[in-house]
Amino acid sequence: MTDLAAAIDRILESADFVLGWGRDEETGVAEPARFHSTEESVSAVLDSTCVHNLAVHLPRLKDRTVGIVAKSCDVRSVAQLIVEGEVDRGRVKVIGVTCAAGMLDVKAIWRRFGYGARIDDPGDILTVGGQQFDRSEYLMGKCRDCAGAEPVIHDELVEMPGPAPDPARGVPGESKHAPAGGATTLQQKFEAMPAVERRAFWREQFSRCIRCYACREACPMCFCRDVCTMQTTEPHWAGGETNARESEMVQHVRVNHLAGRCTGCGECERACPVGIPLMLLLSEQNRIIEEMFDYRAGTDLKAKPPLLTFDIKNDSWGGG
Amino acid sequence: MTTIAQTGMKATNPLVPEPATVTEVIVETGNIRTVRMRFDDPATMEDFTFLPGQIGQLGILGAGESTFAISSPPSQKEYFQFSVMKTGVVTSAIHELSAGDCVSVRAPMGCAFPTDDWKGRNIIVAGGGIGMAPLRSLFMYLLDHRDDYGELMLVYGARMPEDLCFEADRLAWEQRDDMKFISTIDNVCSGWDGCVGLVPSILEEEAPPPDNAVAITCGPPIMIKFTLQSLDRMGFREEQIYTTLERRMKCGIGLCGRCNVGAKYVCTDGPVFSLADLRELPDEL
Amino acid sequence: MRFLAVEKIDALLEALARSSSLWVPTVTEDSAGTVIFEAWEPGTAPVLDRFTTLSAKELLLPASEKIFSFAYNLSEGEESIEIEPSSREGGTTIFGTRACDAKAITVLDALFLQAPGEAYGDEQYRSRRLDLTVLTIACTTCDAACFCSSFENGPAEKAGSDVFLYPVEGGWLAEAITDRGRELTGGEPFADSGLEPPGLAVTRTVDIAGLQEKLLEIFSNIDFWQEATVKCLSCGYCTYTCPTCYCFNIFDEMRSDREGERLRGWDACMFSLYTRETSGHNPRPTIAHRYRNRINHKFSYYPANQGETLCTGCGRCIRGCPVGLDIRDVLAGVKEL
Repeated sequence: MTDLAAAIDRILESADFVLGWGRDEETGVAEPARFHSTEESVSAVLDSTCVHNLAVHLPRLKDRTVGIVAKSCDVRSVAQLIVEGEVDRGRVKVIGVTCAAGMLDVKAIWRRFGYGARIDDPGDILTVGGQQFDRSEYLMGKCRDCAGAEPVIHDELVEMPGPAPDPARGVPGESKHAPAGGATTLQQKFEAMPAVERRAFWREQFSRCIRCYACREACPMCFCRDVCTMQTTEPHWAGGETNARESEMVQHVRVNHLAGRCTGCGECERACPVGIPLMLLLSEQNRIIEEMFDYRAGTDLKAKPPLLTFDIKNDSWGGG
Repeated sequence: MTTIAQTGMKATNPLVPEPATVTEVIVETGNIRTVRMRFDDPATMEDFTFLPGQIGQLGILGAGESTFAISSPPSQKEYFQFSVMKTGVVTSAIHELSAGDCVSVRAPMGCAFPTDDWKGRNIIVAGGGIGMAPLRSLFMYLLDHRDDYGELMLVYGARMPEDLCFEADRLAWEQRDDMKFISTIDNVCSGWDGCVGLVPSILEEEAPPPDNAVAITCGPPIMIKFTLQSLDRMGFREEQIYTTLERRMKCGIGLCGRCNVGAKYVCTDGPVFSLADLRELPDEL
Repeated sequence: MRFLAVEKIDALLEALARSSSLWVPTVTEDSAGTVIFEAWEPGTAPVLDRFTTLSAKELLLPASEKIFSFAYNLSEGEESIEIEPSSREGGTTIFGTRACDAKAITVLDALFLQAPGEAYGDEQYRSRRLDLTVLTIACTTCDAACFCSSFENGPAEKAGSDVFLYPVEGGWLAEAITDRGRELTGGEPFADSGLEPPGLAVTRTVDIAGLQEKLLEIFSNIDFWQEATVKCLSCGYCTYTCPTCYCFNIFDEMRSDREGERLRGWDACMFSLYTRETSGHNPRPTIAHRYRNRINHKFSYYPANQGETLCTGCGRCIRGCPVGLDIRDVLAGVKEL
């Protein structure tokens, strides 16, 4: 039995089931799954295609005690949900996964090699369709900057298979794990853009938005779901028509509602059917929040989220 | 599934409403108002026909539309009316209306009560609260064609006296000797010397025989549930019992995909269904 | 058949654009490779070597469109309203669909083009549809998400296309399917050709025989649907990219305190707001209930009502689902029950 299966087994003693990953037989990549028993737990997998943030399911499972296999980045979402009181720490058992080598952008790989192309990623050289690549070419954007920290909470701890982290990778703000061949990432291109160009950039991007709300549904922190302010009829904040201006506003509202809450998991961007680089907005906001408030969502169970707490004595303008 | 006669809208684009003007607003209860109106275009008003049980989309342009049963009978040519319970954005806007205000209407829609099939039979109508809206249209139609039908009975109940609608009609029905009318409230209440008891219980007490009879019931889900049980105990078969279904509706013409129960759309295959029809639908009522 | 040389494609597109608004698959920068139909501009090279992310349905059922505009008028103390239905002019040409997209159009026709008098048709759809020209690229290859071979003609499906273009050396062999197709390919820039069309791809298949009845049989088995949807996020990706999903919402927007518009736009049965009533009661309270309805609609209700399966096997839902939910697995599961 693997460490993971054993950990799931132990958690099952006190949880209804464990959220984790199984293997999709047809495509060979990981897919979200639930494990209810020892028999089932042996089919749990951990590899670099485990990109999904399973914390998104937790608000819907509030009345159950569940286990969750979560990478460090996913655990931050779990932690932030706990800090906000949306999830009860006693009702979620965390199998934390230290992830050294980062997750692959499976969609990008399949765009090039066709849906379902077999991916062989032992963690150093990536092989797809008989060709070999430096895996940094297909690393998820969020993984490039990740320092590979240990999960901030865990009831069990396992390691993601793969080699030790590249020491050059992921000291936030200092080194960014650039794709091979010196190609510029979109992040870098965007940061170099003057404001007026950014305006045009976003207008172009949001002209593709079809208001599917996948960004919201994929986000663990957007647990408002049905009662999202962007879909209410009263008050009617956002028009329902699909155009760049309306879509841009909706997304900016969503981003604002995530200020101090977003843990940078990137699921919103991954879910977007039309490839809008939403993380450019959220990464920038997260950076600003960290600068202004020295706060990174989901990294400290005891910290008070700066934009969700108000200390009447010290925070009011007129003085306590 | 029974085929039910249907008249429909004749507009080129049935998603585009006709303007109408409110002629009168009647405050029925604390949260129900009847809004009477006429189409602005005289030809449209002249040509407008419908059958009891059919619905319409009454809208306030800017707020939206909502689906209501037409609660006036087809014989009423001066106006048509919807009886509206205040529950949300659109109905709140409707409750702000007064005579002279403009509204938008798309009507008639849906399948009507199969009143032709019922000729010669005894009709028992059991309504609760706002469920009386389509039943008012039906019952007044039956009275307009009194000779076509056998015994007529109407049981109409609400929680309290102030929750009963259609006061003027109730007084008129009480006076008639060609029908049996019972209005009832749930619990004893001072100032009320009429019947007391839940609609299903009153129905069982009255015990109209099921032979050659049809029963129609509309009202809150809990009332319908118990009324159906009573009718079953009274010997009514599924083909003899009719009700109306409600679902969130938008287009009202079977295109937007929303109001289906199984393969049937409440807006075009309903809202009138016999119990036999309902039993054939998948279990997602 | 006729032949269109690669060098002549610009001439064809120019000619098409002269008589109607022309839409071709394009990929925009910094969009993670998203390919969508955009209005053709001279110099745009259509992207024909891969599947489009969104389908062509948006050219018949736009993501949002005006139904009518309205205005409140006050004159001599009396209020009145003016309603102006939306109208449009001009035809539409789509260049670069696939057989699955073109077939999907005919599947939607079965509902939206219903003859007035029998049932309600959709006037705005009809006005776009009756002046629509479709040039389809035949699929000589496919990917593992495609499953159009599950349906009658698979990649060889001609329904919905005016011209069927087979990729060959140096260009495309053009098969005219309709009169409009014959008109288009009859002259320049098409030339004669004696070439034989290439063989078409064969996709994976799912056995849909008997699904219509089987789905109704197992309807109450909500446990099956709960199992099937444990990973579903109810995100809307599948419904919005699907060429046959058509459900729409209707909503009013005020533009000033007197004027406004009533619009309609894409909606999805997977959203919980879809059937939620004002009282808060929702006949489909969970993702499992909604997914059950979606599959039933596609493979049971629509076939029963309109005589067509509401799916053409394009595979977009499989390709794009963020959690890898594969509709083929679900359908196979239904059959096995």
